[in-house]
Amino acid sequence: MEKKIVLTGIARSKGKAAGEAMVNRQRIGWAFNHVGNEDGMVMAPGADMKGKIVTGKIFVYPTTAGSTSGAFSLYYKCKVSHHGPAGLICQEVHFIDINGAIAGEIPAVDKLDQDPITTIKTGDWVEIDAPEVGEKATVTITRKG
Amino acid sequence: MKAKMKLTTYQQEMLDGKHGEAKQFCMDKLLDFGKAVEATEMVDLVLTLNCCPIYVKDRLEPKRLAKLNEYDLGHSPLYDPIFAMKDAHVHDESGTECGNDPYMCQLDKAGEIKGQPNGKPWNFELPGKGSFRLDEEMVAGFKAGYDKLMEHGWLPWLSCNPYFNTRIPKMGEYAASSESSAACYINTILGARTNREAAINTVYCAYTGCLPKYGTHLDEYRAAKVIIELTDEVRDNIKGMADWGALGAAIAEKAGNRIMAVLNLPKKMGPGATKNLISCASPGMNDPMLHLMGYTPESPTLEAAFKGKMPKNPERYTVTMDDVVEMYHHLNAIEPAPGPEKAKPVDIVFFGCPHATWDEVREVARLVKGKKVKKGVHLWVQTDTPTYFMAQHYGDTKTIEDAGGHIFHQTCIAMSPIRHYPKGTVIATDSFKYVKLGGGFGPKWIYGNPEALVNAAITGVFTPTARWDYWSKPREKCLASEKERPLYQGEKPMVD
Repeated sequence: MEKKIVLTGIARSKGKAAGEAMVNRQRIGWAFNHVGNEDGMVMAPGADMKGKIVTGKIFVYPTTAGSTSGAFSLYYKCKVSHHGPAGLICQEVHFIDINGAIAGEIPAVDKLDQDPITTIKTGDWVEIDAPEVGEKATVTITRKG
Repeated sequence: MKAKMKLTTYQQEMLDGKHGEAKQFCMDKLLDFGKAVEATEMVDLVLTLNCCPIYVKDRLEPKRLAKLNEYDLGHSPLYDPIFAMKDAHVHDESGTECGNDPYMCQLDKAGEIKGQPNGKPWNFELPGKGSFRLDEEMVAGFKAGYDKLMEHGWLPWLSCNPYFNTRIPKMGEYAASSESSAACYINTILGARTNREAAINTVYCAYTGCLPKYGTHLDEYRAAKVIIELTDEVRDNIKGMADWGALGAAIAEKAGNRIMAVLNLPKKMGPGATKNLISCASPGMNDPMLHLMGYTPESPTLEAAFKGKMPKNPERYTVTMDDVVEMYHHLNAIEPAPGPEKAKPVDIVFFGCPHATWDEVREVARLVKGKKVKKGVHLWVQTDTPTYFMAQHYGDTKTIEDAGGHIFHQTCIAMSPIRHYPKGTVIATDSFKYVKLGGGFGPKWIYGNPEALVNAAITGVFTPTARWDYWSKPREKCLASEKERPLYQGEKPMVD
């Protein structure tokens, strides 16, 4: 049985994206030392997703951690090396990650009506529709039963 | 106009293109960000601190791209459109000074990296483990990026600490520092206002001199949320740069990513101490602000630290010596936690992340004077340009070099691709920031005080100072003699 959950939140960076969810319960940033620029691999010590590749995924995490270079490293992964995630869902998208997501042209959403960390499971299919910054965004979660 | 942002006449003119293509391009980007963070006006900046790019032609050529993916932090392509504009110049005419963090290598020694690995950052050989050498094309790209920035009016800081000696913002002024430790120092000790600036913004705001007002520019994002009190034992027994880093980390952990007011600090913390305490900010907490009571100029009282919104019973935590010891154990990536019986071989000992202050350089020189760094082990001290030449002038450099160590400016180990160092490299440092930054990469890390680190460089083996045995035990079992026991002087590690 397929189960669908629809959440609404606020867009911090606009765009549409769809992909498999990766849920990381720890704070994590996008700097080259947390997620490799050359391969999209999570390296942050203690991260649930350590060793996994973020490329093309919808990455779900509480908020950022670490270096301000997360902004341009996220942009680089999305636009230059093409190892970036497809979209971001946070409890709160930090300013640093907003900066990176806008430049990387991927949607970033927060303030959802349910906690994304507990509602979304790794492996769920997630679609983000975030038409305008600062406005309502929709997150549709599809789980195979 | 794209955002509901109130602009000054000049800012509007920049947006309208009256002051050139580069300013218009950058204003446009800043307004996009301003809209996302709901800013209603811009602040006027006195300082912008970012990171020098690698400037190469055709960065998407597959072989070059593969190298860039290793070396580029991700910022370099952002400069390409600006470098292609004829009129681009930073906004220094109004007093916005712009500079950069340390980067890949020391530029005036860039010629030396063409030879064999010679133990100089960041070309080195580790006996039995292999060698590392910087890619020459990438070094040339860094030099080209640096030259281009100089043309554009950026200043040659290449330092994480321009706030010490080069551009010192004063209370109430605004800055844009992507260097987290600098941001935290500027807010906490100088009383000027900066975010840990998202590092794409810092490219654009250099050319406009302004930035949307948001985050730590505003009182509500600067207010303390929790009180941390040090025990008298902590206040009286923090000694050495790593202690300050571990204390900062312990404070940050207690506060759980919230801004804290810290009580019962020692009366005299020098520049190295405050720098190391505060550099917990990037790895330990997201907001670059601590209210260090007795130091932070905007917080003469707790009420002021809470920005007039102190609850009746604010959350309050105590930091004890046990917390500091625990942090030492946590920071030593090599398990089990070190004690004299767990002595560990080291390959590289380095000081200066963030860049070493002169008091730190002098301490390394004092500790290493008349001794010799063990063959095959590297001792590196990295500092800013003013301190580098001070150390040369006053003889500290000679002392360190006579012992077989090296001192550098303009560069930082963190900016070389550490992920590609030889397998099994062991790096010992007194930098909390770097153990955390580098924690995801291959090398193993040892965290210790300068005394133990210099001893490790000389013997090739790290042993912590005995005082951690003392502080690790319940106090009634502590022996006063453990505070005094000398460091292990042997040649071979007692365990592997």
